[in-house]
Parts: sequence; structure tokens; C-alpha cells
Amino acid sequence: MAHDREVLRMIWEGQIGICFQADRDEIVGIKPEPFYLMISRLSYLPLVTDKVRKYFSRYISAEHQDGAVWFDFNGTPLRLHYPIGVLYDLLHPEEDSTPWCLTIHFSKFPEDTLVKLNSKELLESHYMSCLKEADVLKHRGLVISAMQKKDHNQLWLGLVNDKFDQFWAVNRRLMEPYADQESFKNIPLRIYTDDDFTYSQKLISPISEGGQKKSLADLMAELSTPVRKAVGCRTHGIDLHEETQLQWMSEHLSYPDNFLHLSVDYKDA
Amino acid sequence: MAETPESQAALSTSSSTPADKDGSKICILLNATGNVPIIKKRTWTVDPNKTVSWIQKFIHKFLKLDASEQIFLYVNQTFAPAPDQIIKNLYECHGTNGKLVLYYCKNQAWG
Repeated sequence: MAHDREVLRMIWEGQIGICFQADRDEIVGIKPEPFYLMISRLSYLPLVTDKVRKYFSRYISAEHQDGAVWFDFNGTPLRLHYPIGVLYDLLHPEEDSTPWCLTIHFSKFPEDTLVKLNSKELLESHYMSCLKEADVLKHRGLVISAMQKKDHNQLWLGLVNDKFDQFWAVNRRLMEPYADQESFKNIPLRIYTDDDFTYSQKLISPISEGGQKKSLADLMAELSTPVRKAVGCRTHGIDLHEETQLQWMSEHLSYPDNFLHLSVDYKDA
Repeated sequence: MAETPESQAALSTSSSTPADKDGSKICILLNATGNVPIIKKRTWTVDPNKTVSWIQKFIHKFLKLDASEQIFLYVNQTFAPAPDQIIKNLYECHGTNGKLVLYYCKNQAWG
């Protein structure tokens, strides 16, 4: 169970200042001022941009009003189903150069590069799938399948409405080892190595063969190959200490989708 | 580069080909569920970096479905992977006995 509640709260409250700009080609008449927002790192772009869309829709031509909205940073389309904090950390804008400047588009949805999870309903079912996959890894899926529909709704609405207590009242059950176990079966994690958005997943147990709790250093050793050594690891914009235990990381530093999203730096060995 | 999964020649139970070493292919097992037509050949091998949506398109094309029909894909009857998830990641975490077991249907089955 997650004991360090203050850590959960700090992670939950992480925000990014974003400056939204219009796509020049879509504007009719006067160019609108940019729109600034503080946005939760844990949320998803389609969940927090209703106001942004409403604001810019007054300035764009009628034919694009109902278009599928998407965003880019310096020409890179942003995946709508990745947590915003993951996108931000991957594209690592220069430090202190906040706010993060994104462009909103109402037309020419780049179907080749972006999955069209642009409505709240589609995003919700994607989110529930992530939770299920994470629970399969942690508890063979036994905890999430024992939950009721209302629990699933509470998780989703807690995230959508930024309600920490509502979310954690249910999520704590997903973040406890099963029954008499001391840790999860495996740690749900996604590892990003550069800024191209692809990640790798591996089966990583929180316990070593010798029965010891594994630390981040053990994980980095597992990720290293004879030619490439893992030398650093970040999540939520934080550099993690090598002695941090994997089980603790999973319980406290996972995103609401129950996965750890880790950016790992490698060095040629 | 073949654009369709290749037939798994002489698939034997004893073959323990470790998938995904040096980009070698991954063995997937396709199971129909619900009222979707069955693909007789269930075992296929695919490139580890192919995406879920690529498999969906392949099944759609193979079954000659209507453009309006949709293929849903599930891993081990539990969750629907994201369309841009790659087969390698699913195999690494959810593969059993050298295979990745996928279920496909025309309606949402397991949420």
C-alpha cells in the first residue's frame, strides 16, 4: 500500500504552464492572442483543452469548426493518449523556458502519426485498457476484475475532474500487493529512450532471484546491454536516485494509468 | 519486405524459437470471438515492430469486411492494446509459450 501520501499528493499536483497558439493558416481575420493555462502533468490533452478549443474556434473558418482537434510542438504532433507530463518530458523543452508553446489545429488531423483518440469516450476506454493491462502485470488482473463499474467510473472521474481523494480512494486498491504478497508480480512500466515517442515494455519483477527487493540500479542493469549502459532515469521531471526501490516507485510514481513512464538515458559502453 | 503476416511453416510444439532476438519474427495466435468470421490459419509470424492497428487492418482485409465494420483486438481476453502499441512490447509482457495470443471480434468484447 502506498504509505507516503505526501509524495502522491506532490505528484498529483505537478503542473505545466502551456501557451496555446493558433495555426496561422486556419485563422480568418484578426490573429487571436495566445491562450495560457496551467495543466496537470497527469492528465491528457483532450481532457483539459475544452476552453482552449472554445476560445480559438471563434477565430477560425466555419468549415474547420467541427474538425478533429490536435496539437503540435515545433512541428511534432502530440499523442492525445499519452499523459501530458510524458509528452513534456520527452520533448524536453529547454529548462526554464516555460510556458510550453503548443499550436492547436482544427484541420488536417495527421492520421498517419496520431491515433485518433480525440474524444473523452475513446480516451476513457483507452485509459481503462491501460489500467487492465497494468493490473494483469501486477496482480494477474484479479484486482481490477473484482471491481465494479462504479469503481472504474470513480477512477476516471477523479482523473477528469482533478479530484485526488476520489481517485485515490479506489486507486489504492490497485496499488497494494495482492492478498498475502509483499510486492507486485511485475512492475508495469514503459521505457522511453529518446524523443520519438516509442517506448519499450518488459517483464520486470520487483524482486530479485535472491528474494531481495530490486532498486532502480537493478532495473538499469537489466536494461543495459554490453554495448549500451543505462546511466540515468527520470519521471515527472525528477531525476531518480538509483537506490529507490522499484516496488515503491510503482506505488508512488506511476501515472494514473498505473504505469511508470520512465525516460532512460543510455551511454555507449 | 512482406506486407502480410507470413505463414508459419512447419510450426511444431517443440520449436522453441526465441522470438524477437535480433529483430526476428514473433509468433501470434489469432482467435475469433463473437460473430466474426474465422480465419482458418491461426498461427502467423509478424515483424516485432508492427503495430496493433496494422494487425487490425490485416484482419479487416483478410476477412474482406465492409469499410464500416471495425476489428477489435484483445490480448489474452483481457485488455485492448492501443492501436500504436507494437507487437514486441505485447509479446515481451504477455506472450506465453513462445506465442502472443490475440482475440479479434467485430464488437467490443472485454471493455
